[in-house]
Amino acid sequence: MSTAIEVKGLHYRASPEFAIEDLTLTVPAGALYGFLGPNGCGKTTTIRLLLGLLRRDAGRVRLLGHAVPEELPAALARTGVIPDRPHLHRYLTIAESLAFHRAFYPEWDAGWASELLGEFRLLPHQRLARLSKGEQAKLMMLLALCQRPELLVLDEPMDGLDPVVRRDVLSALLDYVSSRGATVFVSSHLVHELERFCDWIGVMDRGRLVVELPMGDFRSGNKRIRLAGAAALEPLEAPFTLLARERDAGAVETWVVRGWRPEMTGWFERDGVALREVVDLDLEDGFVELLRAFRARES
Amino acid sequence: MFGNLDPKSAVPLYEQIAVRLKAAVATGELRAGDSLPSVRQLAGKLRINPATVVQAYRGLEEQGFVELRQGAGTFVRSVGSETRSRERVAQARRLARQMLADAARFGLSRQELREAIRHELDGGGA
Repeated sequence: MSTAIEVKGLHYRASPEFAIEDLTLTVPAGALYGFLGPNGCGKTTTIRLLLGLLRRDAGRVRLLGHAVPEELPAALARTGVIPDRPHLHRYLTIAESLAFHRAFYPEWDAGWASELLGEFRLLPHQRLARLSKGEQAKLMMLLALCQRPELLVLDEPMDGLDPVVRRDVLSALLDYVSSRGATVFVSSHLVHELERFCDWIGVMDRGRLVVELPMGDFRSGNKRIRLAGAAALEPLEAPFTLLARERDAGAVETWVVRGWRPEMTGWFERDGVALREVVDLDLEDGFVELLRAFRARES
Repeated sequence: MFGNLDPKSAVPLYEQIAVRLKAAVATGELRAGDSLPSVRQLAGKLRINPATVVQAYRGLEEQGFVELRQGAGTFVRSVGSETRSRERVAQARRLARQMLADAARFGLSRQELREAIRHELDGGGA
């Protein structure tokens, strides 16, 4: 099996104003897939549809090869989840919630669970209602990891956490992925964190997919180009797509382009134009420019 | 050793890791027989993709800087003084390339850059 999550032609009308429309996602097995999008674009709704928590109007979803919702129990037994809001019982202690959780997962790694409790400085007798936001996040990651899943579906697992907790939580995740080779599907606004470890990127906006591609292609194809003396240059017949064009100071302009290849520098070799710099767009800038272009095309 | 990795840089992360390790070997900070962190440790610590660490280590192995011993880990190989000095030259060239790229960005000519370097090498001053 080479696809961990397969979504085809997914439709779901959440309200008269908002719908997921014709969403197709392919998450290869073993990928660390970053799922990006502005607030309210449908990321959490999509995740709920993936996990069978919402009933779709049309389309098809498979998790680890299992049809959702028909074979949901088999899929969920092998999937670790961190939902957008903690789903644990507030009156249980940490020890009790571990005991509750592990009962559902035969592969539960008790040794690592107690190790992680120590690393995360979580006290077994503490009640969940008394946990800080950071402690809750650490407990959620611990529960998701110690069931030893093949797939992790994480809805903003580190957003709103301080940098120390964020590091702890991410380190545990990447430690697990190193030893187990699991697939990770993670949504987040912390674009610079995703940029460190994701090898696939999917971007959503207004209920639809904007783009889905390997991180390497994203980096090599999206560039920021600085040009001098290019004011009269018309990009109409350019071999790349111009996403944005901005006057800097004086005669210097910055272009943001998509579909760039190194040999395209030749296109700029004309009178008076000097190509000053071609730099990779980082994920955050690329994300912003892609959304801007997507919205311009839509309206 | 791995501080200030820059995921936004045009230099891929695996290469940034490899460059740092080679520099450590070239300067003697890492010696023959020293073990490198495991893939799992380093990926967790740096919060990067394990495949990135594997790629860095594999490149270093191909270039003869480390050896992967099955089940034991990754170890620094004994590296001749020739390789060490070659690596120092490579480091210097990387710095120079970076400087050239920055100069191009500011629209400086090579002649201006050359004069500035000579000036600094001669002790700087106004």
